[in-house]
Amino acid sequence: MSMEQKAGTRLIVKDVSKTFYQKKIEPHHVVDKVSLEVKDNEFLVLLGPGHCGKTVLLNIVSGLMPPDEGSVYLDGEKITKPNPKIGMVFQKLGLMPWKTVIENVEIGPKLSGINVKTRRERAEYFIDLVGLKGFENSYPHQLSGGMKQRVGIARAYTNDPEILIMDEPFGQLDAQTRYNMQNEISRISEHEKRTIIFVTNNIEEALYLGDRIILFTECPARVKEIYDIDLKRPRDMIDPEFLRLRKMISNNTDLAL
Amino acid sequence: MKKTAAYDQKRRPIKKILNSLLPFVSITCLFLLWFYASNINPDLVPSPASTWERLIQLFVKPVNKMNLFGHVWASLQRVFIALACATVLGVTVGVMIGWSKTFKAIFGTLFELIRPIPPIAWLPIIIMWFGIGEFPKILIVFIGTFMPIVVNTYTGIRLVMPLHLDVARMFNASNRQLLFEVAIPSALPPIFAGIRNATSSGWMTVLAAEMIASKAGLGFLITRGMDYFDVPLILVGMLAIGIVGALLAIITEFIERLLCPWNKKLEQD
Repeated sequence: MSMEQKAGTRLIVKDVSKTFYQKKIEPHHVVDKVSLEVKDNEFLVLLGPGHCGKTVLLNIVSGLMPPDEGSVYLDGEKITKPNPKIGMVFQKLGLMPWKTVIENVEIGPKLSGINVKTRRERAEYFIDLVGLKGFENSYPHQLSGGMKQRVGIARAYTNDPEILIMDEPFGQLDAQTRYNMQNEISRISEHEKRTIIFVTNNIEEALYLGDRIILFTECPARVKEIYDIDLKRPRDMIDPEFLRLRKMISNNTDLAL
Repeated sequence: MKKTAAYDQKRRPIKKILNSLLPFVSITCLFLLWFYASNINPDLVPSPASTWERLIQLFVKPVNKMNLFGHVWASLQRVFIALACATVLGVTVGVMIGWSKTFKAIFGTLFELIRPIPPIAWLPIIIMWFGIGEFPKILIVFIGTFMPIVVNTYTGIRLVMPLHLDVARMFNASNRQLLFEVAIPSALPPIFAGIRNATSSGWMTVLAAEMIASKAGLGFLITRGMDYFDVPLILVGMLAIGIVGALLAIITEFIERLLCPWNKKLEQD
C-alpha cells in the first residue's frame, strides 16, 4: 500500500476522481483524474473558479471522504481515514457554538487525551499568535467574521499538524478583512513553518500567498497549469511582476458560472 | 405626509412606554369584566373581593389540614419528582434513539405509537392498576413529561451539524467522543426546550390527575370547590395554577440561560 516518492515530497495525489450520483438528476462529475504533489514546507495554492470540486478534493486528501478512483499518499502511506498529521481549516469554520474560544482551539489535543495544562498552554500560544489574546472566554457568536476565522486557524495549528489544509478560509469575509487576514496568514505561516495547502478562487490571494499555484479547470476539476511563484516576500500587490503574473493566470482561468 | 426614519425614531420612545403599559391595561380590563360579571350573577361568578376573602380564609381554616401553600407544594412536589425521573430517563432514551440506528429501529415506531396518547388517557388504566395513591399520580405526570423530553432530545441529536462532526473526525475523535463532545452538547438547547415544555405539560397533567382522586394539591382544591359549590375556592385554585405555572416558565427559562450561555435565541428575547 505504499508508494515510491521523491525526496522532499510529503503528499501525493494520484489520479483521483469523484462523481456524485443522486436520484433523478444527472451524475455530477466533480473531480477528474487529479494528480499533484505537495512538497515539504511549501505554501501550495489550489486555485480554481467557482465552487466545483475543490472542497471535495480536500475532503478526499484529508481522509474524510473516499475517492471513486485513485489514491492519496502521505509520506508513502495511503490515506483511508483522517490523520492527525493533517489539519484542516474549514470553509464554513465549524466552530462549536457551545464552546468558548479557548475550548474550541484546544479541541484537537483534548480529543487525543492530552492533559488540560499542556493543551491550554498550546492553545494560549496560538490564540496569541493569531491575535485573539483577551478573547479566550468569548463565545463564537460574540466574534466578528475575521475573528472567527482566526479561531479556526488557531484550532488547526494547536493540534500540531504537519500539513495544514485551508479551504477558502477567507471566502466569506469582506474585502478589507480579507486583505488583513491574507497578511496575517502570511505572517503566521512564516512564524510557524508548515506545509500548507490553501484553496481559493481569488487570483490575487493565490499570488500573494503561494510558493506554487496549481490552477484547476471549471467543473469537473482537473489540473490545468502549475505555476512556480518566485516573488520575494512580503509580496506587493502592485509590483509590475505581480501584476504580470496575475494577468497571465487570469487569462488562463475558466469563467465560472 | 411622508414618514422618514427620523420621524419614526422620534416616536419610538413613546411607543415603547405605551407598550410596557399595555399589559396592565389588559389586566385591568379583565378585572373590570370580572366585576361586571359578578354583579350579574354573584353565585356563579364571585366578585374579586369575595375571592380574596376566600383566599384569606384558606389560611385561617385550611382545607384538609393544608393551607394554599401546602396544596401548591403538594402539586409541585409531584411534578418535580416526575420531572427529575423523566429528565434522566428521557434524555437517555432520546440520545439512544437519536444516535443509534439500531435503537431507533427497535424503539422508534413503538414510541411514535405511544406518543400521541395524552397523559390523561392513561389515567383510568393507571388507577385500575395502581390505585389512587401517590405513585400513580407521579406516574401519570412522568408520562406527560417524559414524551416531550425524549422527542426534543432525539431531534436535537438528529440535527447535529455534520460539519461539527467532521471537525471532530478531523481530530481523530472516537465514536464515543463524537457523542459526548459534539452531539450531546450541541443538542443541549433543544433538550432544555424539551424540559421547559415538559415542565408546563407536567404542571397541567398533575392538576388533571389530582382532580380525579386526591387529598391534596391544587387539582384537589378546585374539585373540592365544585363538590361543595364553593365557587370562590375554584377561582382561588385556578388563579394559583396560573401564577405558579407562569413562575415555573420563568424559572426554567432562567436556568436554561444559565446553563446554555451560547444560545443566541434566548439572548435576543
